[in-house]
Amino acid sequence: MIRIENFTFAYPGTGKPALEDVSFEAAKGELLLVRGASGSGKSTLLYAINGLVPHIFNGESSGTIQVNGFSPGERPIGEISKTVGTVLQNVESQIFMMRVEDDVAFGCENLRMPREEILLRREEALKAMDLWEMRERETFKLSGGQKQRLTISAIYAMGPKIFLFDEPTTDLDQGGRKEFFNILKRLKSEGKVVLLAEHQYEEYLPLVDRVVTLDRGRTVPSVQALRDCPEPVYGVGNLGDIVISCKGLCVGYEKGEPVLKHVDLEVRKGEFVALCGKNGSGKTTLLKSLAGILRPSAGCLNVLEKANPDLESLMGHVGFLFQNPDEQLFADCVEEEVAFGPRHLGKEVDIEKYLRISGLYEARGSHPQALSRGQRQLLAVTSILAMEPDILLLDEPTTGLDDTHWRRLLSLLHQSVAEGKTVVFTTHNGKAAGRASRSVHLEEGRIVSDEIRQ
Amino acid sequence: MKFVSRNTLFHRLDPRTKIGMSLMCACLIVLLRTPEGLLALLSILLATFFFVRPPAAYVRTLLYLMGTAVIFTMISQGFFYYFEPKTPVFTIVPENWGWIGRVTGGLAVYREGLIYGAVQSLRLCSAMVLSMTVVMSTYPSDLILGLERIGVPEKVGFVVTVSIRFLPAIIEEAKRILTAQKLRGLKGKGVRGGFRVLRYLLPPLIIDSLRHARRIALAAAVRAYTGERTHVRTLQFSRTDWVATAISAFLTIFLLFYYGVFL
Repeated sequence: MIRIENFTFAYPGTGKPALEDVSFEAAKGELLLVRGASGSGKSTLLYAINGLVPHIFNGESSGTIQVNGFSPGERPIGEISKTVGTVLQNVESQIFMMRVEDDVAFGCENLRMPREEILLRREEALKAMDLWEMRERETFKLSGGQKQRLTISAIYAMGPKIFLFDEPTTDLDQGGRKEFFNILKRLKSEGKVVLLAEHQYEEYLPLVDRVVTLDRGRTVPSVQALRDCPEPVYGVGNLGDIVISCKGLCVGYEKGEPVLKHVDLEVRKGEFVALCGKNGSGKTTLLKSLAGILRPSAGCLNVLEKANPDLESLMGHVGFLFQNPDEQLFADCVEEEVAFGPRHLGKEVDIEKYLRISGLYEARGSHPQALSRGQRQLLAVTSILAMEPDILLLDEPTTGLDDTHWRRLLSLLHQSVAEGKTVVFTTHNGKAAGRASRSVHLEEGRIVSDEIRQ
Repeated sequence: MKFVSRNTLFHRLDPRTKIGMSLMCACLIVLLRTPEGLLALLSILLATFFFVRPPAAYVRTLLYLMGTAVIFTMISQGFFYYFEPKTPVFTIVPENWGWIGRVTGGLAVYREGLIYGAVQSLRLCSAMVLSMTVVMSTYPSDLILGLERIGVPEKVGFVVTVSIRFLPAIIEEAKRILTAQKLRGLKGKGVRGGFRVLRYLLPPLIIDSLRHARRIALAAAVRAYTGERTHVRTLQFSRTDWVATAISAFLTIFLLFYYGVFL
């Protein structure tokens, strides 16, 4: 189905190839895992198969690509999408319509299929992804996992033989990842070719037929075992006074029942706490109320000896990291970004120290938005650390980070805990939760388990 | 402000009927001359607005918007009313007040201006009620399909669809950026503070919107979007639509003849 021989490609104006001398093949019913660090060329490889390279990203290329007997460069993208279906990163920007069934029809309508055929395909695709019951729902009301299924279903309806997935599970919780496993299994059994570019692939290994490992654009032999190197282990230090305490805390949005229901929690100075749970279990809501972004509707909350605090009263004492780093980078250069918080709070802080420990010193003159995704995440965390808050609250800090950046972030956090700060973060990633000194599990707005590691 | 799913007669009308009605109302808003005529139009529109059973929050928003429109038009017209004769209600800067008086030519609030403003604000209010009623009662894709069927280019329709779909996300994002700023100690008090907040709000918002736009463009490309497409949704111009159109046309002509045309 896919045959790639000595393919090399460079984006215009970069000089350095994004892919170099890549060769591999894939046959019907095979699942290929494409792995590699951020920037290793995984996405570019997928784009070369679905025709975005060269139709949208036009650069210099050599070598050959054959997909189902044709070369993607020769046909318009619309034509290729009948054979190659792509689920891109970030589900949110791939849903075009307001209603589930309309979105599934969108691709078929673009292929100018007659109405009757679309209706048939749509029904089949909705049923295949277990969305038939929800076909009339509004798309923005779906959960992360449902949105993912919707995008896959929309591609499925177009009837491709090859499916490309670009980091599809980044925003999925355990349940969503399991559902995705079943979808992969189904696609394989239907004889589709699947290319899966992914950081967290461990649980999909049973389905993988072949591995393509990319390192800075080149394929490297995949003999090396598919496992991670050991990570630094964190030891619990001496704990101090209670800095956060909630009793019977309820937090809700405008209407309906509260998202958090009578939560009791105490956190001591120097703790490193992971809040775990499915999407929608209330972890982010809890975290936001600890920062004073959301106010409790009942119960009491004490943060740093302030009762039911608002955002202003915690300013400078509590640092908060939002999920998307790009929403918290305002300044014109990295150095200024790190200095932003301390300057506005009137604190004297050694900015250089923070630039060095985060490994951003070399990039201090760059524009924050020009950094890679992983670096932007590190910068956002560093900018918050530099305010030297007593408590650090991080919402899904590990999302979309590759191994290198993940380790760096972890060591930054460990270091601040060692300095006597308290860190609380949310995660749906079991690996990340395992690095904390304590994990608190939430389910439907209640704490169901609280485990402290020695 | 968005589509509210209800099963009223107005909801069931073909979007083309509603577009037609809107065009007729737009003509009336511009052409009607007398306060009575404009009041009659506004009453009809308000009746329709309540007929589609708006949620309480929307009614509050509408009242707030209408109140603001009336007050601001009255004040601005009160100050800058141009026509003669005009009677000052009260004077802020008299004409003989040294150089300020000479430069401004005197500054006063005129009674005729206030009345003129009140009448003009009826036009604004009608436009608001009209657009809210249509948006609330028409599923966006249908509205766009309706526009396309009456000759608006497909690509324009798609741009509108995508904007409706993604605008709320951008607003949410702006809110998060503002919170993040606050958490980093940026205070937005006063005019200078306001400018500072904007200065640090716009770059991330614009850059992220561009990133978002690029992702959307790629997603549209892999979903084979070229601008020419078929449609699963169909529109039915029923007898009710003919009747509704006829009634609207009759009302339009009646109002124009009865209350006179502004020319």
